[in-house]
Amino acid sequence: MASHDDDQDLVVYGTPIEREEDISARKRRAVADAGQLRALPAWKQEVRDEEGRRRFHGAFTGGFSAGFYNTAGSKEGWTPQTFTSSRKSRAEHKKQSIYNFLDEEDIKDMGGNALETSQQYDTFGFTAAEHARKQASKEQNERPSAIPGPVPDELVVPASTSIGVKLLMKMGWRQGRTIKDAHADSLYESRREARKAFLALSGVSNDEDQDQIASQKSRVDENVAESFDKISALGNTPVYVLHPKEDLHGLGFDPFKHAPEFKDRKRSHKSMNRDRNRSDVSVRGSLLISNSGQYAPGFGIGALEELGVEDEDIYASGFNYEQTEVDIEPSKTSGDSKFKLEDRKRGFFLSFKIASNSEYKLERFHPPEIPADFDGRHKFSSPIQTADKFSDLAPPEIPPPEDTTLRLLIEGCAAMVARCGKHIEDFYKEKSKASPQFLFLDGGDGCSYYARKLWEHQQKFIDRQRPDAVKLKPSSDKLTAENRGTILGERPLDRSSKSSSSFVSAKEAVQLQSNLGDTFVKPISLDGVPESKKPFRNEPAKQARFEQFLKEKYQGGLRIANLIPTITMSEADRARERLDFEAAADAIEKGKEYKAIDPLSILGLPGLNEQRFVSSTQLESSAVLQDERSMYPQREEFEWRPSPILCKRFDIVDPFMGKPMPLRRPISKMDTLMFMTESTKKINEDVRGSSTIPQNASVAGTEETEPQEAANNPDIVSSSMQRPVDLYKAIFSDDSDDEMDEPLNNQPVDPVKTSEGANMALNRLVAEDFLESLGRELGLEVPPEKPAQPPNVLFRSEILPKADASVSRNGQTSTCREINETKGSFSLMEAANANGDGPTSNVEKLDLKYEHSADKGRSHSSHRQIRNGSPESDTSIERHRSRKRRSHHRNRSPTPDSGSSDERRSSKKRKSYSRHRSGRSRTPDADLSSDSQKNKRKRREKRSHRTNMSDTDSSDHEYKEKYTSSSRRSSDKDRSRKHSKHRRHRRKDSA
Amino acid sequence: MSSAAQQLPRTESRTLSGHEGAVLAVRFNHDGKYCLSCGKDRTLRLWNPHTGAHVKTYKSHGREVRDVNASSDNAKLVSCGGDKQIFYWDVASGKVIRKFRGHNSEVNSVKFNEHNTVVLSAGYDRSVRAFDCRSQSSDPIQTIDTFQDSVMSVNVTNTEIIAGSVDGTVRTFDIRMGRETVDNLGHPVNCISLSNDRNCILANCLDSTVRLLDKNSGEMLQEYKGHICKSFKMDCCLTNDDAFVVGGSEDGFVFFWELVDAPIVATFRAHSSVVTSVSYHPTKTCMLTSSVDGTIRVWT
Repeated sequence: MASHDDDQDLVVYGTPIEREEDISARKRRAVADAGQLRALPAWKQEVRDEEGRRRFHGAFTGGFSAGFYNTAGSKEGWTPQTFTSSRKSRAEHKKQSIYNFLDEEDIKDMGGNALETSQQYDTFGFTAAEHARKQASKEQNERPSAIPGPVPDELVVPASTSIGVKLLMKMGWRQGRTIKDAHADSLYESRREARKAFLALSGVSNDEDQDQIASQKSRVDENVAESFDKISALGNTPVYVLHPKEDLHGLGFDPFKHAPEFKDRKRSHKSMNRDRNRSDVSVRGSLLISNSGQYAPGFGIGALEELGVEDEDIYASGFNYEQTEVDIEPSKTSGDSKFKLEDRKRGFFLSFKIASNSEYKLERFHPPEIPADFDGRHKFSSPIQTADKFSDLAPPEIPPPEDTTLRLLIEGCAAMVARCGKHIEDFYKEKSKASPQFLFLDGGDGCSYYARKLWEHQQKFIDRQRPDAVKLKPSSDKLTAENRGTILGERPLDRSSKSSSSFVSAKEAVQLQSNLGDTFVKPISLDGVPESKKPFRNEPAKQARFEQFLKEKYQGGLRIANLIPTITMSEADRARERLDFEAAADAIEKGKEYKAIDPLSILGLPGLNEQRFVSSTQLESSAVLQDERSMYPQREEFEWRPSPILCKRFDIVDPFMGKPMPLRRPISKMDTLMFMTESTKKINEDVRGSSTIPQNASVAGTEETEPQEAANNPDIVSSSMQRPVDLYKAIFSDDSDDEMDEPLNNQPVDPVKTSEGANMALNRLVAEDFLESLGRELGLEVPPEKPAQPPNVLFRSEILPKADASVSRNGQTSTCREINETKGSFSLMEAANANGDGPTSNVEKLDLKYEHSADKGRSHSSHRQIRNGSPESDTSIERHRSRKRRSHHRNRSPTPDSGSSDERRSSKKRKSYSRHRSGRSRTPDADLSSDSQKNKRKRREKRSHRTNMSDTDSSDHEYKEKYTSSSRRSSDKDRSRKHSKHRRHRRKDSA
Repeated sequence: MSSAAQQLPRTESRTLSGHEGAVLAVRFNHDGKYCLSCGKDRTLRLWNPHTGAHVKTYKSHGREVRDVNASSDNAKLVSCGGDKQIFYWDVASGKVIRKFRGHNSEVNSVKFNEHNTVVLSAGYDRSVRAFDCRSQSSDPIQTIDTFQDSVMSVNVTNTEIIAGSVDGTVRTFDIRMGRETVDNLGHPVNCISLSNDRNCILANCLDSTVRLLDKNSGEMLQEYKGHICKSFKMDCCLTNDDAFVVGGSEDGFVFFWELVDAPIVATFRAHSSVVTSVSYHPTKTCMLTSSVDGTIRVWT
């Protein structure tokens, strides 16, 4: 127990020193283990040194070692192979011996017995000889020899090798090498040589034989991998000629010499005949051929292209490669078929032959004897007999005899006979001999009546049978109304009353009419009217127009002005059509009156019923033809703009040289502005000329003619480019336009026709007014300090539609009654404007004349506006311009917008301040180029871009003014300036 | 007139065969010494129609070649077809100098302008495009897309571009005036051909009618009927003295009409199938016809 405890406490460090005897013991064990080790599976075997120890080098580095200090085996370990050029020693490969894989221990185990291949040991060579000699000496020892002594042993050596082997060895063959290569090659070579010689002799075209050779070679190659004896057997196997000559052509004659594709076909065909195994290949081939024939004759499309509609052979008549097998060797094929037949006959045993005279004879039977009493006519039983009789002529109608009983008897008898057949009559006849009642059967009284009655009954009976017979066939499929109609012999009647609705298609209607006319005279009053209301049913569009026309003529009520667009029709056509309509309507009216008398007279309308009234339709068609002739060719002219480079290449002066691009759709803001200038200017001129021209018309006109105008008057365009004042004005008026943009939709229309100038001026104020009221209605708060600028809808409309209202109220300046202060500032500004305007208009007469007047008008109108207090007076005019403005919006919307409405408001505040100051301080300042312009511009800037104005000091402002005035020359720059300025202001704002 | 009619090319002097499949167009060159043909086998072929010699074959097109035109200096060719591209060839080397791209669909017709500087093409994509031969760019310098339907044929004078479309219009684009003149014929126009005095437009319409228009007034001068032209693109042209109108028919016949009164002066069976193209020698009495049957025939 205690010792046990001691054991537990004992800790042993290090490896104990081994004793001599221990080592020897372990050695012994190791030797003993060596035997067991081999029995162990590979993963359980352990590497030990010669002492039988396992080397252990720390748990961290991998446990027991393997091999030589963790390397694989040798002291050197794995030495990486150095690169040696194989250029010189290409074919050389290292011979590996078993020693490359054995370590010293293994070699020691082998005990120096190296395994080697010996030159001597071969069954045919030295060893065999040795063996044979030993055997011989042994035998010699056993049996007594004629010649004693060892002499004959040396002299007579038993043959160990056969003579064949010896010969082979003489030829260079060695044991261990297969004879195949050299053998096959030599075989092939020799055969080729022989063939060549043969060809040279016979002069046959090479290709076919080449084929044979190639195939033979491949055959030989196949065999290369096979064993020796098989190869030796090869020599004995008969060489099959793959393409035996089966035709009857002369040697070397190739019927397909210039048509290899036919040759291929022929061959594939043949092979298909020969064995069905290969048929799939040939089928595929033929498929390919037929495919290529379908699409485009002679060529398919590329692999990467897909087959489209356009690849179909639209000229389908083109090339049809018919795959007819032209039999060039008729005798052969017929022979073939014959052989085949015989093959089948003979079965499998080909060696059997048909006997020339066979035992088997075809047995012939005589025709059956015809009975002597056969007359070749067949009597049918009674029902069919009646059918026979049906074809007889009907007996004449005979008045019935007076005696009613006789009449009844006759009728009954006739009915009976008709139903049951002739034999009943015979039966009655028999009876009639007894009773006189049936005398009529034998030609007595009432005979003719009986005959008639009998015929009638038979007829009836047949009639009853016939439908059954007819029915028998179609009963399998459904009996429709039409079928029944045809059975009953009725004429098909189209849905008469229902079809009279206007939904009948034109064709049906015509058909119906004709049917009705053909079958019976239908009271057309039911459907005649709606029918006749469609005299142009052949032309749905025209019919629609005609209906519209009728509606307009006879019915009241509201309707759209032009329901069916007749854009394609010329004025003359329309007039002609109207005349037609009138005539048609008259005819319908008349038809209503006397349709009961002659329902078809109504159909006499031109083009109504082509089948019946040929002349009228001819008239119509000729009219149509004439129409067409007169209609076509139509000539229209448009403006077309050749590209400058095209003109250059055609050596033609560009007709549009120097003119701006035609504006179907304004591309840039720049262009729009320039044309705006034009239009406004023109408007102003118009106003001056005649102030009564309604603005909407003029505006619309200018807008539409804009591109053409620009194209036609290049000087105007260019002048506009040189006159930025117009541009300002354009922007100015444009602004006011923009202000109106939002509320336009819900504004009641109240068109007031005022002079153009006044309108221009009014627009802005009206808009302001309206926006202010709107803002108030919406209950948006008013900032304490009112800036005197109109709202900048221009920049806001897209982004902040809601804020618009509030800001617009802010912007509402001049008419704002609550805040007097602002009003004061406005009036002050107005005064400044007025002051400035006076002198400058004199200076820049040409440019500013209209401007001036417009300005004045504006001020006037603004006053009036204030007085009147009717803010929504002019919006209709605005509406007319809305399109234009919208385009502006579109163009301008991409400009970077300022952030929030708050910012805008504050900036407005600041701006109003600056404006006050500048307005006051600048007015007397005459040094600067043009005060009025500046003022105007300032105002414009304030109005349009108020948002972006900052409260800068006066010097800054001045600089700005200078900058603008200097860059005013070109409208291009002007625009860019405007933008740049905006940006600058904004930057300052944020700062 | 009768003597003139007697002189019409009615006897077949030779057949130029070599095209596999339909020949879609055959054109004399500017002086009439050579002719060019193109067809469904994706090749252009240059022939000497007077000797029957096949001079050269131009291969590069990926699909059928629909039209070909030679420059007036005989140095360049331009061809178009189903592969949506226009090939600009060097005649001598047979190499493609440039491929003009831009059409979105098959190209039906192609022409050089007078100075061989611009190639005009009409396509199924309802557009006429102009390509600059002098620049390296393969993009069109102008695209005219006012057509409503496939443009079948284009022709160029020294100041005008004339194109006929399936929308039934013949549109004349006057570069000098900057005007587009639209003559609506009411029937799909297959082929546009100009009279030699450049005053009349001959339009082959799909209602089996050839129409003669006055270019300046747009007035229809005459209609020529009798042939069949209902579904294929077939050419028509005027003789070199502007006395007769020549047109092919879908049944393989060739028709000659007298220009003024439009009677059929002569008609004969030229091919077994659709006569796709006719071309009249610029000076001599010689005519070329091409057909779906794969042959080009020379008539003298």
